[in-house]
Amino acid sequence: MASPLPITDSPLVCWSCHERTIGTHFCSSCGKMLQVPEKSDYFAMFEIPRKLWIEMSALEKKFLQLSWKLHPDNYVNASAEEREISLKRSSELNDAYRTLREPVARVEYLLAIEGARVEGKNKQQAPPELLEEVFELNESLDELREAKASGGDLGSLKRRLTAAEKNFQEKLAKVDGELQGAAKEWDAAVEASANETARKSVMAKLNELLNRRSYIRNLVVNVQKELL
Amino acid sequence: MGRTVGIDLGTTNSLVAYLDATTGEPKCILGPSGSTLCPSVVSLDADGSIIVGEPARRRLLTQPERTIYSVKRLMGRGPADVQAELKLFPFRIDPASKSVIRVQLGDKIFTPPEISSFILRELKNWAEAYFGETVDRAVITVPAYFNDAQRQATKDAGKIAGLDVLRLVNEPTAAALAYGLHEKQRGTVAVYDLGGGTFDISVLKLISTSEGDIFQVLSTNGDTHLGGDDIDHLLQAFVHEEILQHDQIDFSPHGELAQELRKELIAVKHRLSETDKVTLRFALPNGKVFEHEFTRGVFETLIRPVVDRTMGPVRQALADAQLSPKQIEEVVLVGGTTRTPLIRRTVQEFFDRKPHTELNPDEVVALGAAVQANILDRGVQNMLLLDVTPLSLGIETYGGAVAKIIPRNSTIPASAQEMYTTGVDNQTGIDIHVLQGERELAKDCRSLARFNLRIPPAPAGLPRVEVKFLIDANGILQVAAKDLRNGEEHLIEVQPSYGLNDADIERMLEESIEYAEQDFAERQLIEARTEAESILTATAKALSNPKAAGLSEPERVKVEQTVAALRESVKGTDYKLIRKKIDELNHATEHLAEILMNSAVQAALEGKKLAEV
Repeated sequence: MASPLPITDSPLVCWSCHERTIGTHFCSSCGKMLQVPEKSDYFAMFEIPRKLWIEMSALEKKFLQLSWKLHPDNYVNASAEEREISLKRSSELNDAYRTLREPVARVEYLLAIEGARVEGKNKQQAPPELLEEVFELNESLDELREAKASGGDLGSLKRRLTAAEKNFQEKLAKVDGELQGAAKEWDAAVEASANETARKSVMAKLNELLNRRSYIRNLVVNVQKELL
Repeated sequence: MGRTVGIDLGTTNSLVAYLDATTGEPKCILGPSGSTLCPSVVSLDADGSIIVGEPARRRLLTQPERTIYSVKRLMGRGPADVQAELKLFPFRIDPASKSVIRVQLGDKIFTPPEISSFILRELKNWAEAYFGETVDRAVITVPAYFNDAQRQATKDAGKIAGLDVLRLVNEPTAAALAYGLHEKQRGTVAVYDLGGGTFDISVLKLISTSEGDIFQVLSTNGDTHLGGDDIDHLLQAFVHEEILQHDQIDFSPHGELAQELRKELIAVKHRLSETDKVTLRFALPNGKVFEHEFTRGVFETLIRPVVDRTMGPVRQALADAQLSPKQIEEVVLVGGTTRTPLIRRTVQEFFDRKPHTELNPDEVVALGAAVQANILDRGVQNMLLLDVTPLSLGIETYGGAVAKIIPRNSTIPASAQEMYTTGVDNQTGIDIHVLQGERELAKDCRSLARFNLRIPPAPAGLPRVEVKFLIDANGILQVAAKDLRNGEEHLIEVQPSYGLNDADIERMLEESIEYAEQDFAERQLIEARTEAESILTATAKALSNPKAAGLSEPERVKVEQTVAALRESVKGTDYKLIRKKIDELNHATEHLAEILMNSAVQAALEGKKLAEV
């Protein structure tokens, strides 16, 4: 695998003019919007390599350019077929932009199309190094719920939980940092045309970080809900 | 194909606007009473005809049981949703209503989309009378925070009114379009839209690109049951209580006296936007006069809760757009209720910026709808609107939880795919429940649709069906399923939880045409003009045919004179005269038609008029 630029296979023949075409979004022969190809992906849609660092202003510019051309507002008076293609194409463009814009969603998506996304077997299962703290946190949460129900003193419990929330927020920030590091490793592997084994190992790392991140995030959200 | 207009279908008033081709500016069309506002009031006359607008509004006092206002509050809602509303509004809900509410007017039963369709048809008539042409396509505005069912109900109303609804546009976005055209603003804009019954806040980014201007909505929030009506109710409750205390008279919201008081209180409310003190004097049935002086201070204390309720959504919309109040560069006020000084002050203080009020807050939404109608009619040229879905779309998962598949504030159209398989051998269906809302449990979200995905019998886990959920540019859900084993794709007919089916709409469309009798003269004029056009075209074509040389000179002169007379009559509004001239032309061209027919298939066409050849 030498080329990191994954321009997806275009349909060979345009649905409208029946000519052979090499366009990504529009027919190179007649200029009509092309059907969404079966094997398209979000990176290909924006004509960028499958790397995790994306220049945001360039992404936005491309998004707006494509929106001009693909949006259903352009096709109100067009044939039913073209209206349908525009609806599909513009929705996928919006889905793609929504996903690629968010760093975490971007990693998840990359792993999914690379066939490397494996969600934790049990989402409720704490990563081993967090077990002790999670256990304590859950105890405090239970106590707070009980105290709420029985009208007991909430002040000290809330203080304890607020401290715990801060602690887990810090862990979340740390995971995000590690995720950024791993993303750089991925980009480096792509640029160096690294072999399959090297790539797989980076992907496994990214996958593990995503699972840890989602676990910690859930914890933080749960604590915040109880503290409200 | 007829004309395309923009329509603001409001809780209190509705308007119709178009884009003036010569000035490039949108304009509202005046109704017969000389105002651009059509009160959103519908009344059923004793003879069975429908009365809409100002005359219907007057009947709120004389025939409240045959008249309905604020029907927008009932759009896309089920009977259980509106129980609280019924204490405040004199809606007469048919007790037999199931998923769709049915309302009683006199001795007849109507659904909210039907009642709205009467208002739309009235506006269509205004526009047709103004243009002297058919109007059959429209952009209709809806509150940004309307859910799928409320949007679908609005679209249905359009269909029942005989309109091809090109697009539903969110009201604050439409307002931004009108202002964008007016002020040539750039940057981040917040639109605060408090109307008669709904509140919306939208945060937009206005971007100049080499192709033109893009209006990108970043976030939207709101409350579809918060507006000027709520201020009226606070005033009503206050005065009802006073009267009960002093005069022991109990007002029920039904009936003429309450309507009369409501009308007086609305006048008090309006005057308090201009002056500091207003005295209400109201004649009671016991012969006494209830007198009360409202100061602006007391009024503001009374309505403070309504104003405060708008601020939660404002904060949420800003948070979702990841902007602070300081980062908003322009603030726009929309909706009649924003004339209230307290609201202007509150918004100004929050954003620390003087809000825009240059455009008439009642008209600005309709003006924006006209701009969008023009864009859709002629194709995107120098302006593009990118709107968002106000609520997250989710599907019910195990244990009644909701898995969000399209988050709120996603740019629309937006889609999400879900893969389904079976859990037991030969399972033939999977139940799918689609919901809209931000809460975690299905029971706390709005049910959009339930359907059963049909699956050919196979061993468990073998079938692979991909279901695609797509929110279109109107904010309305479409569902399609694809069997990945054979690649078969089919659209799923989703029966909405709170909506009309196609057969209902078809029947209502037929019925509504019967109600449209009062527009007879206008309709006749349009039809006569259309027919005149076609016969004039046919005559011109026939005269240019080489075979027309067979016509004698006096005959040719006669035809030309009759053509000129018909042309002249079309310029006027007398449909009977146009019909007469059509008949004369038909008569004058009989020989011409005969000559042309003889050269063609004579026998089969004998006796036909020229236009039919």
